[in-house]
Amino acid sequence: MAKKGNAADLAPSRKEKKGLGQYILAFFLLLYTLFCALPVLLVFISAFTDEKYITQHGFSFFPEKWSMAGMNAVLRYGKQLARSYAVTIGITVVGTLCGLLIMSMFAYSISRPDFRLSKFLSVYLLIPMLFNGGQLAGYIVFTSYYNLKDSYALLIFPLMVTTMNVIILRTYIVNSIPAELMEAAKIDGAGEYRTFFQITLPLLKPSLAAVGFMMATAYWNDWQNALMYITSDNKKPLQLLLVNIQKSIEFLLNNNNVPASVRAAMGGGIPQYSSTMATVIVVIGPIMIVYPFFQKYFIKGLTVGSVKG
Amino acid sequence: MKGKGFWENTWKHRAHVVMALPVFLVLFFIMYVPMAGLVMAFKNYDFTLGIWRSPWCGLDNFKFLIASKKIFVSMTKNTIMYYVIFTALGTFLNVVLAIAIDQCVFKKSTKVMQTIMIIPVFISYAAVQFIVYAFISTDTGILNNTFNMGVRFYTKKELWPTILTIVKMWNSVGYGSVLYMSVLAGIDTALYEAAEIDGANKWQQIWHITLPSLIPMITVMLLLSVGNIMRSDTGLFYQVTRNSGQLYDTTQVIDSYVLNAIFKNSNFGFTAATSFFQSVVGLLLMLFANGMVRKIEPENALF
Repeated sequence: MAKKGNAADLAPSRKEKKGLGQYILAFFLLLYTLFCALPVLLVFISAFTDEKYITQHGFSFFPEKWSMAGMNAVLRYGKQLARSYAVTIGITVVGTLCGLLIMSMFAYSISRPDFRLSKFLSVYLLIPMLFNGGQLAGYIVFTSYYNLKDSYALLIFPLMVTTMNVIILRTYIVNSIPAELMEAAKIDGAGEYRTFFQITLPLLKPSLAAVGFMMATAYWNDWQNALMYITSDNKKPLQLLLVNIQKSIEFLLNNNNVPASVRAAMGGGIPQYSSTMATVIVVIGPIMIVYPFFQKYFIKGLTVGSVKG
Repeated sequence: MKGKGFWENTWKHRAHVVMALPVFLVLFFIMYVPMAGLVMAFKNYDFTLGIWRSPWCGLDNFKFLIASKKIFVSMTKNTIMYYVIFTALGTFLNVVLAIAIDQCVFKKSTKVMQTIMIIPVFISYAAVQFIVYAFISTDTGILNNTFNMGVRFYTKKELWPTILTIVKMWNSVGYGSVLYMSVLAGIDTALYEAAEIDGANKWQQIWHITLPSLIPMITVMLLLSVGNIMRSDTGLFYQVTRNSGQLYDTTQVIDSYVLNAIFKNSNFGFTAATSFFQSVVGLLLMLFANGMVRKIEPENALF
């Protein structure tokens, strides 16, 4: 896209006219943008809306009474919230970094010319995309045979390697990193590992950023594995707090986390609606904040990966 | 000797073998071993015995599947129906949005708008369900309050195909258009200039230059998606519907059915047969789709 912009600068072309049609087009785009943004905005407004207002008048974009009660209730999750944050961040970071490392090593290996085993490895990589055991078989194998119920491993490993991501990385290595560079490193006496870590991996950065961001979002947003496998409170990731929100709010507020005085201050009732929305903010917030920084990378990454070499 | 050369070659590349090993192992334990678990479809599964030692039961599970027409047919029908709606409408909207963004001359504002349009795809369905609830809940929902409708959305199954379609489009169109935009960015601007000189208006340019250049990508994306007909966005059907039994007739898809069965610990024979059906049909469709892509657009085939 950048290239096109430059070309337009040099030679003013079709992109110049700002007729009525352009304004109508922009108007429709704006409408669609609002369609995308308003539901998210509603979350933020509702989180700070007075609970009584919601029960009486319903959710609203223009509430007449604001309140911090919902947010306060969420912050009083205290320990459990901090714990869940730690779990989610932990699995996201560990899963993404390990996944990126092993997938790029694999992609590098199978893209070596003259490595005969790579044909087999490529097929081996592809088969899971075509055929898989499905959720039920996975569930039974993981819990009864690996005995991994309620372990972090089941939050991390199932999302670690995806065929598509390896293909994206391999495509990038083949198309965008000159093979001569790797040859030259070898002639200069660098071993295979050194060539990979000091030449290939740094050059792979744009692709790693794209794949990494997509992986991180997948980890952050994964509720299904958590719901199926995690049972103990201290291993619950954020998404699970959301899924069980009703239980969470009651449990957490009845728990000893909350001093009696605070409960009394809330009038004995739990600010259900607003605190649910506040929890949603807490859960989706970090992605919203990080996403704009990665946008250009993943747009590029998507583009590169779509054109298979 | 060919064989000997192979081993020599492998030994020479032992560093690459080592580097490929971690992914090999992860795939083996996470993807390959559960494939063997599909034999459950032919067994009378017993918790205490495990998959291997449970007794064989031939095709009993499948007979059960066919006999209980109602559930099986309805969830297969739903799965395919949603696939068709989502794919057809989704592709159409992706393309329209991509062209609209590409045509718009207010580049800076378009960029900001595009950033916002992509955001929904990063919100998990576990969170989306509360947003949907805020709009359509009976007493507190915005729709009911604004228009005084008093519709009990969570009990009206006939409304859900529409609701889920809107949610899905909200979630995925902004992101989906990125791919098509990248194709549009690659079109030679000289083509448009030439067309303008020849007196073609904007619509004619879109019709004769923009659309044709998108056709290969559209074809490839459509064909590749065929392999996933049997799989659905589980979160959409499980979370957004609040897994409400009243809505199952129109919202239960194979994936959400299997998830429910796992939580209820019930009907494993039936579920295993369903799973088997899902995997095998998926495989056949994928092979078919790839074959088609290879015929039309060989460089985009997966294998």
